[in-house]
Amino acid sequence: MNTSFSSGRPLCILIAAMGGEGGGVLTGWIVDAAERAGYPVQSTSIPGVAQRTGATTYYIEIWPEQTGKRPVMCLNPMPGQVDVMIASEFVEAGRAIANGYVSPDRTLLIASTHRIFAVAEKSAMADGRYDVSKLFRAAKDHARRTILFDMDQAAKDAGSILNAVLLGALAGSGALPLPSQAFEDGIRAEGKAVDSNLAGFRFGLSHGEDDLAARAAVLSSLPPAAAVPALADRIARLPLAVQTFAAEGIKRLIDYQGEAYARLYLDRLDTVVRLGDEALANETARHLALRMSFEDVIRVAQLKLKPERFDAIAREQRIRPGQPYMVAEFLKPGVEEIASLLPPALARRIIALSDRRGWTEKFHLGMTVQSNRVGGYLRLRLLASLRGWRPRSFRYAEEQARIEDWLDLIRRAAGLDPQLAREIVDCARLIKGYGDTFKRGAGNFERIRDRVILPALEHRLAPAAATDALVQARTAALADPDGQSLGNMLADFEASLRPAIPQAAE
Amino acid sequence: MERSFAKEIESLRLGDGDIFRGEGILAVTKALLQSGVSYVGGYQGAPVSHLIDVLVQAQDMLDDLGIHLETCTNEASAAALLGASIHYPARGCVTWKAIVGTNVASDALSNLASAGVTGGALIVVGEDYGEGASVIQERSHAYAMKSSMWLLDPRPDLPTITRSVEQGFELSEATNTPVMLELRIRACHVTGEFPARDNKPAKVSRNSRLPGPSAFNYDRLAHPPATFMQEKLKLEQRMPAARKFILEHGLNETMPGELSEIGIVVQGGLYNALNRALMNLDLADAFGNSRVPILVLNVTYPLVPEQLVQFCAGKRAVLMVEEGSPDYIEQALHTALRRADVNTRVHGKGMLPAAGEYTIEAMTRGLLAFMKAEQPQIDVSAADAAFNIALDNRKTAQALIGTNLPLRPPTFCTGCPERPVFTAIKLVEREIGKVHIAADIGCHALATFAPFSLGHSILGYGMSLASAAGVGPLMNTRSLAIMGDGGFWHNGVLSGVASSMFNRGDGVLIVMKNGYTSATGVQYIPSSAGNRVDGLGSGSDIETTLKALGVKWVRTLRSYGLKDMRASLKEALTTTTRGLKVILAEGECQLARQRRLRTDEAKALKAGERVVRTRFGIDDAVCTGDHSCIRLSGCPSLTIKPNPDPLRTDPVASVNSSCVGCGHCGEVAHAAVLCPSFYRTEIVHNPGWWDRVSDRLHRAVIGWLGGARPAQTVQPAAGE
Repeated sequence: MNTSFSSGRPLCILIAAMGGEGGGVLTGWIVDAAERAGYPVQSTSIPGVAQRTGATTYYIEIWPEQTGKRPVMCLNPMPGQVDVMIASEFVEAGRAIANGYVSPDRTLLIASTHRIFAVAEKSAMADGRYDVSKLFRAAKDHARRTILFDMDQAAKDAGSILNAVLLGALAGSGALPLPSQAFEDGIRAEGKAVDSNLAGFRFGLSHGEDDLAARAAVLSSLPPAAAVPALADRIARLPLAVQTFAAEGIKRLIDYQGEAYARLYLDRLDTVVRLGDEALANETARHLALRMSFEDVIRVAQLKLKPERFDAIAREQRIRPGQPYMVAEFLKPGVEEIASLLPPALARRIIALSDRRGWTEKFHLGMTVQSNRVGGYLRLRLLASLRGWRPRSFRYAEEQARIEDWLDLIRRAAGLDPQLAREIVDCARLIKGYGDTFKRGAGNFERIRDRVILPALEHRLAPAAATDALVQARTAALADPDGQSLGNMLADFEASLRPAIPQAAE
Repeated sequence: MERSFAKEIESLRLGDGDIFRGEGILAVTKALLQSGVSYVGGYQGAPVSHLIDVLVQAQDMLDDLGIHLETCTNEASAAALLGASIHYPARGCVTWKAIVGTNVASDALSNLASAGVTGGALIVVGEDYGEGASVIQERSHAYAMKSSMWLLDPRPDLPTITRSVEQGFELSEATNTPVMLELRIRACHVTGEFPARDNKPAKVSRNSRLPGPSAFNYDRLAHPPATFMQEKLKLEQRMPAARKFILEHGLNETMPGELSEIGIVVQGGLYNALNRALMNLDLADAFGNSRVPILVLNVTYPLVPEQLVQFCAGKRAVLMVEEGSPDYIEQALHTALRRADVNTRVHGKGMLPAAGEYTIEAMTRGLLAFMKAEQPQIDVSAADAAFNIALDNRKTAQALIGTNLPLRPPTFCTGCPERPVFTAIKLVEREIGKVHIAADIGCHALATFAPFSLGHSILGYGMSLASAAGVGPLMNTRSLAIMGDGGFWHNGVLSGVASSMFNRGDGVLIVMKNGYTSATGVQYIPSSAGNRVDGLGSGSDIETTLKALGVKWVRTLRSYGLKDMRASLKEALTTTTRGLKVILAEGECQLARQRRLRTDEAKALKAGERVVRTRFGIDDAVCTGDHSCIRLSGCPSLTIKPNPDPLRTDPVASVNSSCVGCGHCGEVAHAAVLCPSFYRTEIVHNPGWWDRVSDRLHRAVIGWLGGARPAQTVQPAAGE
């Protein structure tokens, strides 16, 4: 006898989810629908400690014939043998593809394109987000069919949950021999949040058709620059490419300090525009506006009182009109922040004393201010009203000196190598924030300035080498908060520059 | 425990003529009830927690059947519970997670196995091996061999699993030996169905008690000289009896196949994956009809040499499919064949991987190698090609996606009371430098992942303090041990605290007092506010216990109070006072708390009662995208979003709607002097007259002062 077996195989469904999302509920619905329709079905999972937001999977096999006889069904998926891959989040879809569970001859990929950021992406010191554009490409290349859209948003729009939308998309895809009625009956039989679950299910159902014209997340879109009448003519004189950022910058700085300060911005920007490199000027326009609107206590108080901020809070926290609510701010200015509002001579003395006595690290004025209550409002108003005083403050003097120095480096570098100049502009992103964050960033910038930028400007280092080093240094500076990576990088860089001549004396 | 198992309990009540549908571990529970079990016990741990969790809520049914349920404080106490079956004809079952639980239980198990049992004794171990496992990758098999207990590894479908439970008791009684039933993670969670039978009241039970103790019998003591006799009994009587039982009752299954020159010997638990691998080579169909003869070992210890020899005799070669290391069965197979002078070649490790889970992929690869070597006349090229296409597809996908796909290990839940303690540790380390941190088993072990990355070693449940005992004296700085209250009661109180006191230890211990063993599914512990028996606390208090053990330096702190926690921790690590210093970090498990609160809050809202909801938020315009706050927290609700500021590119931090308002963000912002972008809102639902009046007053005054227009004037006044 030489038996050749029929090619009957189960339908294999793999669900990638995160702990706590209710992947078990989705699995239960699918199993229930298959049972209702009379198909042998089996599911299993590996929850373990993944109940706490870790990546996890659920696996289902459905035998595609209505029979009372149960086949031998499996407990784990096999690469190349998954019929439907469901992912509740886009990087999890990517993980499934990378693990070989999405194959061009077989797999329907149903995935939500929204992102839930992993800790490593969130905790990066700048932008650590994974670039999902290659996942769209991978989905297109590796799946037989795809249903991709932002199901999280769809669920919110439908007043439902993500799992219901995923289930609907699965039902609508026709990939399983199950009528949508079987799924709906399961949701009803479970009896929990029936209406909202059905709403999500129906939304998914109607979007179950093939669609890879997926809406890639638009990560940031630039609003058109609002006209600033007072300085409109000066903006108009700038190269077109620079105008958007410049207009935005002017708007910000008028709000921050006043029109004269915005003019100073334009004057400074002009010195870079004159160098004739539009890309350089454009990035300078952006960073210069940010650097000139440095954060101090005055600025924070001003931002905290903006009407549009309260609108945003009401929107985000779903506060109904007329509903009483209280907003408490966590402020904790230290000796430096407070002293830096004083005139430079006095501030310097106080900060020096505070450093000597060890107060700088120790003493902070912790306050919880209720900004939409009269008392708190008045305190913030008082701080914000110091705006007119700001140009006389120590911090202002220091920042203007730093900015002038940075612009000077840019202008000098532009004469040597435009690429080097652009990299110096970009180093401005290291300097941001308040307190420790600000000090760390400014410190890192200074190390890079002294050990890479200045040597290049003083012709002790080839501009091309300096450009490369700047890119590396910036990455290293953002790699860890202790400055260790940057230290190592700079040391390695300097070592590589030393002539490789053996020391005879040694 | 706040989770309800009402639906599961219903399925435990099914009887003759009903079809049971549900998960593997629940099916085991049902099979216990059908087997006339007298007592059940165990210690929680994935993947077997549900066995006890469900029974805890089924007290009525247990009362009806007279079953005693013991929620043990560790696996050793669970194993010792089986001592009831030594003298008395009572069937007992205990359960835990292996390998770790079996390690803890092994002393009692050795003594039990040596003395032998009268009533059936069954140990259900959740073999936490392969993908999704959370413990060391070792095999329970070793314990069965060293203690001469029998090990069942049934095919992973519900009819076979439940039959194994019933036959396990019979085997145990027929051989006076405890029996272990091993279920892998996926088998515990596998769903399926089997025809239920009526639950059976036990001969001996709470409803049908023994009149008194059995007569004194020294031979039933695991104590010399009886132990020498017991060792002989194991090998000369119990094991032969077990082999006889296995053969007579057909516990192992032989599946016929036409390719009689070869064969496959497989652990029962791997049978389903093997069948799929055979299907991939077109050597079997989906209903288990195979061209290759298969010997399925639903009992993996003891093996029956004559059965192995009979299966292999006359074959050129067999493939031994045995997961994990060492390859105990493969070695035994070699020995059995050698002794019988049978020259069948044995393949196993080599064609199959030495380590790791035997997935369908691993087995397909092994089978391809086996068939090519031993049956070259059979064309497997199509299967080979399909297999390679799938692997190539994975390779190209990996090349395209790259290796930098962010990993997603589990993290502390939103609002977890343990998170602030690790923030405090991070902040203290900034001040006084790094310290040696002895980590432990439990949710707090999640601090070993980013963004905390704290913990130098994990030596087992409740072992942290003991594992630091040799570090502290050799180091200039004090060491810090972290333990959960679960670990404390599991054994940390003795192996850690008592030992440290006894040896004049000078370390620091933090006990996370969240009120439950949360990582295993939020079960009660001796210091919980509740207890399954009467709803009251047990009166076992950690602080009192520490004082009774002589610990002088004890601080009980609210875990969310970052400032005090930081100060106390710094003091503990730097004080000149010698001796063990213990900080109790108090804060109820947020998972348990939210389950309760959400229901209460929904009820209160519905009833029109005043409810204040606290949430946190971040000002986009103030946040500069440095994410220090995330590096000190890692809360799932604290995430990032694209920067709405057209001039900035780094994403800003953002609090999403899952925030439970624990307050940690605010504490961190203050304690670590972060940016002032955090704010807290308190939103009043069903406000009283005073809320309304005061809110209007504040708005009016601020509006008069020229401040923010009240938000609601922007929106259309909808109905109110």
